[in-house]
Amino acid sequence: MMIPTSEAPAGAAEQLQNIGEATGVFNLTWLMIALPLFGALVLLCGGKRTDSWGHILGCLTVLGSFLIGAIQFLTLLGKDADERAYNQHLYDWLDSGNLQLGVGFQVDQLSICFVLLITFVGFLIHLYSVEYMAHDLRRRRFFGYLNLFISAMLLLVLADSYLLLFVGWEGVGLASYLLIGFWQHVPDYATAAKKAFVMNRVGDIGLLVAMFFMFDQFGSLAFDEVFEAVPGASDGWVTAIGLMLLLGAVGKSAQFPLQAWLLDAMAGPTPVSALIHAATMVTAGVYLIVRSAPIYNLSDTAQLVVAIVGAITLVIGALIGTAKDDIKKALAASTMSQIGYMVLAAGLGPAGYAFAIFHLLTHGFFKAGLFLSAGSVMHGMHDDTDMRRYGALRAAMPITYACFGLGFLAIIGIPPFAGFWSKDKIIEAAFNDNIALGLCALIGAGITAFYMSRVMIMTFFSDKRWDSGVHPHESPKLMTLPLIVLAGGAVLGGGLLINDGIVTWLEPVVGHEEAHHRMPVWALTALTLFVIVVGVAAALKMYQFSPVARTQPQGGVLVHAARHDLYQDTVNEAVLMRPGQWATRFLVWLDHRGLDNLVNGLAALLGGTAGRLRRVQAGFVRSYALTMFGGAALTVLAVLVVRL
Amino acid sequence: MIRLAASETLIPAPNIEYYELSPILIVFGVGVLAVLVEAFLPRAHRLHAQLALCLTGLVAAFVVVCTLTDEAQENARAVPQKVAAEGAVAIDGMTLFLQGTILLLGVVAVLLLAERRLGGEFAASAATVPGSAAEKETTRLGWVQTEIYPLLMFSIGGMLIFPAANDLLLMFVALEVLSLPLYLLCGLARRRRLLSQEAALKYFLLGAFSSAFFLYGIALLYGYAGSVRLSDINAAVSGSEDNDALLLIGMALLAVGLLFKVGAVPFHAWTPDVYQGAPTPVTAFMAAATKVAAFGALLRVFYVGLGGAKWDWHPMFWGVAMVTMLFGSLVALVQTDVKRMLAYSSIAHAGFILVGLVATNAEGLSATMFYLLAYGFSTIAAFAIISLVRDGSGEATHLSQWAGLGRRSPVVAGMFALLLLAFAGIPLTSGFTAKFAVFSASASAGGTPLIVVGVLSSTVAAFFYIRVIVLMFFSAPVTDGPRVAVPSLTTALAVWIGVAVTVFLGVLPQPVLDLADNASFLIS
Amino acid sequence: MNPANYLYLSALLFTIGAAGVLMRRNAIIVFMCVELMLNAANLTFVTFARQHGNLEGQIIALFVMVVAAAEVVVGLAIIVTMQRTRRSASVDDAHLLKY
Repeated sequence: MMIPTSEAPAGAAEQLQNIGEATGVFNLTWLMIALPLFGALVLLCGGKRTDSWGHILGCLTVLGSFLIGAIQFLTLLGKDADERAYNQHLYDWLDSGNLQLGVGFQVDQLSICFVLLITFVGFLIHLYSVEYMAHDLRRRRFFGYLNLFISAMLLLVLADSYLLLFVGWEGVGLASYLLIGFWQHVPDYATAAKKAFVMNRVGDIGLLVAMFFMFDQFGSLAFDEVFEAVPGASDGWVTAIGLMLLLGAVGKSAQFPLQAWLLDAMAGPTPVSALIHAATMVTAGVYLIVRSAPIYNLSDTAQLVVAIVGAITLVIGALIGTAKDDIKKALAASTMSQIGYMVLAAGLGPAGYAFAIFHLLTHGFFKAGLFLSAGSVMHGMHDDTDMRRYGALRAAMPITYACFGLGFLAIIGIPPFAGFWSKDKIIEAAFNDNIALGLCALIGAGITAFYMSRVMIMTFFSDKRWDSGVHPHESPKLMTLPLIVLAGGAVLGGGLLINDGIVTWLEPVVGHEEAHHRMPVWALTALTLFVIVVGVAAALKMYQFSPVARTQPQGGVLVHAARHDLYQDTVNEAVLMRPGQWATRFLVWLDHRGLDNLVNGLAALLGGTAGRLRRVQAGFVRSYALTMFGGAALTVLAVLVVRL
Repeated sequence: MIRLAASETLIPAPNIEYYELSPILIVFGVGVLAVLVEAFLPRAHRLHAQLALCLTGLVAAFVVVCTLTDEAQENARAVPQKVAAEGAVAIDGMTLFLQGTILLLGVVAVLLLAERRLGGEFAASAATVPGSAAEKETTRLGWVQTEIYPLLMFSIGGMLIFPAANDLLLMFVALEVLSLPLYLLCGLARRRRLLSQEAALKYFLLGAFSSAFFLYGIALLYGYAGSVRLSDINAAVSGSEDNDALLLIGMALLAVGLLFKVGAVPFHAWTPDVYQGAPTPVTAFMAAATKVAAFGALLRVFYVGLGGAKWDWHPMFWGVAMVTMLFGSLVALVQTDVKRMLAYSSIAHAGFILVGLVATNAEGLSATMFYLLAYGFSTIAAFAIISLVRDGSGEATHLSQWAGLGRRSPVVAGMFALLLLAFAGIPLTSGFTAKFAVFSASASAGGTPLIVVGVLSSTVAAFFYIRVIVLMFFSAPVTDGPRVAVPSLTTALAVWIGVAVTVFLGVLPQPVLDLADNASFLIS
Repeated sequence: MNPANYLYLSALLFTIGAAGVLMRRNAIIVFMCVELMLNAANLTFVTFARQHGNLEGQIIALFVMVVAAAEVVVGLAIIVTMQRTRRSASVDDAHLLKY
């Protein structure tokens, strides 16, 4: 699969950058993946012998990968812009006739960003888990799964072909599935894991079909060969491939209409939610789209669909976020929405790719920080996740409060925190492309400000609504240290944009296009900030200055929505908010009923059919003989009919 | 066969290529010797003598197959014709590849049959009535069933001829030679003897029924072509257009017999019952080796003998392949017995292999052979692991008993999970490489609808494989559930071989793919 | 006599055999019906041998008889064991393995 690209025709070299053979430190690329894999093997096969030091090994392997990644990054920084891509060809996997597949890794500007994010945030989360899972008897196994995940995720982003990417893709799916179900005593676990599994499968089929199309059209699955051959394909095929890749991305990244599993995935331990379902795995879809830039660049239709999916998801996610009382689910909805921003940006083409990755990186930091802080809160609140039983926690856990606060400021987009820079750029790019998309992004920002403020207020401000017997306390140092580091990222992440740093950095891989401004940048920024302030103010009014009910008001989803309102004390606002609420409720309902039913219905249909087919096997040898006889008759008939 | 000219009274002595036929002859010879061992050696020594004899014979035969392959590859397509025994046996690339596979699987099967530490899988004396005093007596005396070894050798001998038969009569004889010992082996289980005997009865009656169809098909083809030699039939097919009904019906009935052996829908009904009832080592052997031999025969008949009538049998095989894949995957979803689930999975796999077969080109041939090899080793190891999971009353095959197995025995459960992933076709296992090979062969032959159905059914199939993995690793263990017994060296070796091949063919399949590629030629 | 008549006869015998397999309960009779099917095939072989004017079909018939004999040995062994265990030779009694 890995044909040296130095032989690429001159024409293609204009768009695609040259990829050199790996030398020096780039020869260690395989080791980055092998280290955590080794850790996973030792931890999962080692049995009880590794209980005492397993978690340390788990952390060290990831740290090792991070160090390799960091050295590679520094080496790349020292090179010229067009010499920053390296390929390590490991071996020919399959090679027979028209079937040529190799195993190789590609380190370039795009993948190294991901490597750093995965290993660095991954390492912090490993560190955090040491303490968080300290009382879990199966901590060693947990670290084994985490290491497995890191390994698979690195494989996903370092792969030099769609096929190998798919291997990593399945690997992260497996690890995620294992980790969602890690706590089996959570009763919803079975459904949650099942839903995640089914929806991811739907996405996987998309990716598989895309790969099949590519193989059919280009005879290869290696990135460089596919991208070289794409311009020669017809528009229809390119669009089809783009849409199928999008389906894969939608499943993995919890985008509309396959978003529902993410909320249920919160059944897993919080570090898992932070690592897999916020910072890394769910962003794999964005990586896939950005990596496939040369394909999307050639199909306006596919690009538009990508942008629309992103826009819809970012609004839906934000709306769902306003209705959730479970702190993790609120954050999960926000993840969905933020990834919607990234997908939207990726759908804008070369004007947006770099910003999608930029937002992905900053989001990785602040969202991981938010989740870990939430974990820290839960740790202090006896694993309660209901925000209605939180309140006024800022005094009890000051460090967590500060870190969550910084993450909060980053996600709602207050300057100069990271989220401001990245989200603002996306909104700007969206406006430049299309007013409707821009408006979606803008409204999303307002709702984000509202629901994040709601989370912030209900958790750390307003009045105490704790259960009796709960004594909130700050978490141990090993847990707060990662929080502080991640909060630092949330504060400083915007620095990547200095001198257009990230844009220039990624340009050789994804290209860049100067924006044609539809309206002055300062005006748009001001508008965005205004919307954000409105959102925060609304939240303040409703949650800080009015009491929050300790239990969620009862009521059937649609019928009682008006009567037993969540916000019954603010009737005036309710008049304005009702449509939004209805939409929210409807989405939540759709989420629970519609898609659940679809999933369950599909399972029931298959199970029912199978159950009936199974009855054919009645146990009587004569009935089997009859089946055979009938089969023989059919076979004869089939052969005779063909001749007619 | 032998033609008797009217004027001659002497039959000319046939020319037998003993060297080329020696793998078959060695195995049959060992079978006969094994019968003599049963007759003349005291009971106490029989087991070791049998084991030594069988393993030596199989390995020797394998070595000959290797040297033959070597020679064949040196002058590969330069000397395409190498038929032995007056043209009745075709020694070509496919024959050698499949014979090698069958012999290796045979070695693994002997290792499985030799398991003693778990109390033995076979009845001390099959002639005793279950529950009778005679049964208790033989058990008390600690008799060990050693007649299984000659039976196994004869069956392997038949399997070696089956894909090599260039003549339908020989193919029929080989079919019976491989089947009859298997019918008996199925009925020899030590525990749950009623089930085992029922499996034997069902297998026997349905097998005999299907071979009657097979034979009638041969008769009709003989009527059509005037000969049962595949090359003559091929010549007749491409030569004339008349008397088609004989050809078509004969072809269909022939297909019935062979599809029965591979367990394709609608001739699959025996598979789940027999796989469940038979002693697990026998099931392992049957699932792996019978498929190899039967697909070899299918390939030869339909590629060599009926290749000219391709457009007549193609649609039928398409249908069978699709229905088989879907049916196997679907019904496996609702199974509650591990052995039965694997039986349905084997039906689904027969469908996948058929996808490679209907490609009808060299690629399809090599992909099919690769699939057979990969699947054979995975499945034999999977059944071997099933034989290790035991509770007080023997094997614990009900799925609910497997809950939480991964907690108690992570290594064994991990290996089983790996094999299941291979069945599901997850990358980096042999299953993926094999599926990829057959699908890409089929794609090059315009089989896109087949691939769509194939991918759909593997998605469904993945569901129940993963379900078992989840059950093993995430469910709370049942109280006093089964334990993984510590097997003797032979079984452990068999499991490790199967797992190692599964991983090797997933990670570094190239050498074997090349081998299959080079072997993908048939004498026409 | 027209050889085609023998072919019709053999097809008839084959069908009778198949119907017997499907309809009779006694394992021995089921098995005999299978033998009938084999012999129907034999008749076909011999008829075609006559038609084609070569001996191959007749030789095949001999082979088939030998194979059938071997099948009888194995089959009776299995059926008799079954009969001794269950005190019944009905194939319908053996239906523990199902679904």
